[in-house]
Amino acid sequence: MAYKIGLVLDEERLKLIKGTELEKEIKDLFGGTLKMIEVEVTEEQAKILMQLFPRVRIDARGFVEETPVAFRKALYRSLINHRSKKDALEAILKDDKLLNEIKEMASKEDEYIPPP
Amino acid sequence: MNGMKLIINNPPPYGGKLVNNIDKKEQELKGSPVYDIKPEIDRKSGAPIRNVYREIMSICYGFFSPLDRFMTKEDVDSVLKYRRLPDGYIFPFPIIFDADKEKIKSMQLKEGDRLYLRLKGKPFAYIDVDEMWDFDPADLAVKTFGTPEKNSDALKKPLDEKHPGFSIYRNMSGFAIAGKVFIINEPKFKDPYSRFWYPPERSREEFLRRKWRTVIAHQTRNVPHTGHEHLMKEAAFMGDVEPCRGILVNAIVGAKRIGDFVDEAILEGHEAVNKYGYIKPERHMVSFTLWDMRYGAPLESLLHGIIRQNMGCTHHMFGRDHAAAGDYFDPYSTQELWINGLPSYGFDAPPYDVEKGLEIRPVNMQEFFYCPRCNEITYSETCGHSEAQRFSGSFVRGLIAEGVKPPSVIFRPEVYSAIVKWWRVFGYPFVNKKYLMQKEDELEVEVG
Repeated sequence: MAYKIGLVLDEERLKLIKGTELEKEIKDLFGGTLKMIEVEVTEEQAKILMQLFPRVRIDARGFVEETPVAFRKALYRSLINHRSKKDALEAILKDDKLLNEIKEMASKEDEYIPPP
Repeated sequence: MNGMKLIINNPPPYGGKLVNNIDKKEQELKGSPVYDIKPEIDRKSGAPIRNVYREIMSICYGFFSPLDRFMTKEDVDSVLKYRRLPDGYIFPFPIIFDADKEKIKSMQLKEGDRLYLRLKGKPFAYIDVDEMWDFDPADLAVKTFGTPEKNSDALKKPLDEKHPGFSIYRNMSGFAIAGKVFIINEPKFKDPYSRFWYPPERSREEFLRRKWRTVIAHQTRNVPHTGHEHLMKEAAFMGDVEPCRGILVNAIVGAKRIGDFVDEAILEGHEAVNKYGYIKPERHMVSFTLWDMRYGAPLESLLHGIIRQNMGCTHHMFGRDHAAAGDYFDPYSTQELWINGLPSYGFDAPPYDVEKGLEIRPVNMQEFFYCPRCNEITYSETCGHSEAQRFSGSFVRGLIAEGVKPPSVIFRPEVYSAIVKWWRVFGYPFVNKKYLMQKEDELEVEVG
């Protein structure tokens, strides 16, 4: 079964996607109040993510939720670099050094996130 | 006249009488055996997972009526076999005061004695000891929830220590003290808990004052998104000759899991729904019950039915995957219990249609989502379009963690403000290790 990661696009993120082939992948949610790109996740990749980040879970919609913010930021950067949703996720999961950095940052996320 | 009665009213307490085990006369601890209440700790993670003071509060203030005690071996055997107390009243879970056997032995405590309990170092309660008995926590944990083989109508896979309720029973000491429990020194709730404290006697008085003849209960352990808000509004239409007059939000406050919303934000988030008129305050009130959730899905729903009937509610909403954690239970097992019964747990008929059954009525609801064609939040069983945009609590948590303010169509700005308020207090929008340790150290109360 395939799952998805929903990558939320704020104005800054949208800027770098506009004009690229990824633009047609942008989904309008909730009457256009939120924009998102959905990255497909295989069963195997979902398992890896759950092993890497114990809080990760699949919600009722089939979305992989509660990935660390550091992971989602890295996924977005990878998406911009690779211009392909499939390649973006694969590249992160292959890069042990990057994964270690994400895990390190994720452990700090559990301590403090600055309030708005 | 065909005798059909349409008008319904607040049901009596379950078992006929609210337990009120507050003994204001008893103050003397001098020279008597005294035991300090400590949090139960998960042996593997070191995290606090339960504090038995919450069970004492819920027994003594009548939330669990007719249960007025910590269970004897006979009580527990009856609960595990029939999901009923020996007198026939439904009760889904063993309620056990488990203690450090060596400490108790050193006190030379015996059956018939009074054991005084201290909370945060202060006199709090006592148990009139009827029985002291040993048990195997691993066996108890399995029997409490059942197995997929024996309970195939509800369980999909065996529970394990990742399940928070299983973990509570698995980590018990294996030595139980049974008997009636009384509070001698009523704790004072801290802010913001104090203004949401409606033990059953008080909630019933409040319903009377508000003229809430029919009240629907909403179980929560989450900050409300608009899906929850619509669930409350739509479910309330199930009344008798008119929609329910009141909606009671009853949050379960207890030991948390990492990543949950903090209890303070849950309560104030729900309060924001009525304070800012999304549901008018004349129709909506927020309350809580102290309980370290067992996440027993259909079993938990029985306890919810007992608690909310005792509080005076006529109806209870049950959604998909009610009070569950992980994918152990069939997500529709609670609704099945309340429609047809679950024979494997001893219910050949729904809990309101059995001897000594509950009088609270179920309102089983499906799903609310945003439909771009309707351009609004719609109900899965009535919206005829196929472009559902679903949102869950974890989706909203993801947005918040990433610094994105959730759009108002799925999350009210005032509810978000309640989260931000407590985010500033704790430095984190959700439960983290620091919050968990601090909460279980300081608890929700002060003891005078």
